[in-house]
Amino acid sequence: MDWAQTIASVLKKENISIIAYVPDVNIHQVTKLLDEDPFFQLISASREEEAIGIASGAYAVGRKSAVFMQSSGFGNSINAIASLNIPSRIPIPLFINLRGEHGEFNIAQVTMGRSTRPILDVLGLPHYTLENDHELEKKVAGAIKLCYSSHEPLAICFTPLLHGGKNA
Amino acid sequence: MLRYSATKLIMKQITDQPVVSNLGPTSDELWHASKRDRNFYTYGSMGLCSSIALGMAVSIDQKVIALEGDGSTLMNLGSLGTVGRIMPDNLIIVVWDNEKWAQTGYQASHTAYGTDLESVALATGFKKTSTVSNEEDLDLIFAQALEEPGPWYIVAKIQEQKYLPVAPVEPEATMHRFRSTFVDEEKRIG
Repeated sequence: MDWAQTIASVLKKENISIIAYVPDVNIHQVTKLLDEDPFFQLISASREEEAIGIASGAYAVGRKSAVFMQSSGFGNSINAIASLNIPSRIPIPLFINLRGEHGEFNIAQVTMGRSTRPILDVLGLPHYTLENDHELEKKVAGAIKLCYSSHEPLAICFTPLLHGGKNA
Repeated sequence: MLRYSATKLIMKQITDQPVVSNLGPTSDELWHASKRDRNFYTYGSMGLCSSIALGMAVSIDQKVIALEGDGSTLMNLGSLGTVGRIMPDNLIIVVWDNEKWAQTGYQASHTAYGTDLESVALATGFKKTSTVSNEEDLDLIFAQALEEPGPWYIVAKIQEQKYLPVAPVEPEATMHRFRSTFVDEEKRIG
C-alpha cells in the first residue's frame, strides 16, 4: 500500500465515514480513493472553517468524521477550532498538507505553512508530521485513537517528503 | 416580529428534531424558550451554525433545524453553495434577519442595504425558500418545512428586543447532553 492507501484504510478501520475537505493536489491522492469507496461520504466545502463545522455536526449526532485541508486553509479554520472544537471537546482528526516545505515554489505559501505547527502548539493541540512510509499505519491509527480518547482535535501533517509535493 | 416569540412558535412545532442555534441571543432565547437535550447551542465559531446543521443532516434521516442570523450567514455565504451541491432534503435553515450586527452595537448589516438572502439561497439551488415578516406566516411555512422535503431556507425578518439573560449552559455539557441522545454512551464510539 502507498501512503494514500494506508490512510484510507486506517480511516475505514476506525469507522470514520464523513470526510469534509477543501481540495488540494496532494490531498487529492487520498480523497480520490475515499470517493471511490461507498463507505465514505465526502463533503466538499467552500472554505476550511465550514469543513470544521460540518465535521463537528456529524460527530454531534454520533458519526465519526475527519477534515482534510492545506496549511493555508488551516489558517482559515483557526477560530472554528478554537471556539467550537476545543471548548465543546469535539474530536476531529485534521489532515493538513503542509505547503512551504521542501521544494515549495510559491513564496505566498511559505509563512502559513511554516506557522501551522507552531499555531497548533499555541492552541495546545497535538500534531504528528508524516515524512515517510515508515510505520505509517501505526502512526495514523495511534493518532486517531488519541484524538478520540482525549476528546480534542489533533493534526496529522503531510509533507512533500511523504507524497512528492506540488510542482510549479 | 420578535425573535424570542418567533422562537417559541417554532419550538411548539418541534418534537425530537435537533436544533442548532447561532451564538448569542439566538442561543440564549432558544434555551429560555425550550430547555431540551436536542438543542445544540453555539458559543463562538460565528458563521458555522448552518454548517454544523448540515453535518448533522448528512448523517441522520431526521429533519435538522438551524437558527441562523443575517450577520453570521454573511460570514459564511459559501456554505449555501455547499448545501446546494449536496441538497440534503432534511435541512431547514431559519435566518433571524434583523438587518444588523446587533450584539456589537446595532451596526447595519448588508441585508439592510439590499442583500437578499432568500435570493442567494435560491441561486445556490435550495428547493424551498420563503421570506416572512409576521408570526402567522412563519408558523405556516415552518409547519410545511417540517412536512415537505427541502432543503428549506426561511428568512424571518425580525426586530431586536431587550436581551434575555445569558443561558447558563456550557459548551462541553451541551455537546455531551446533545450527543448522548444519539449515541449510547455505553457503546460510545472512540
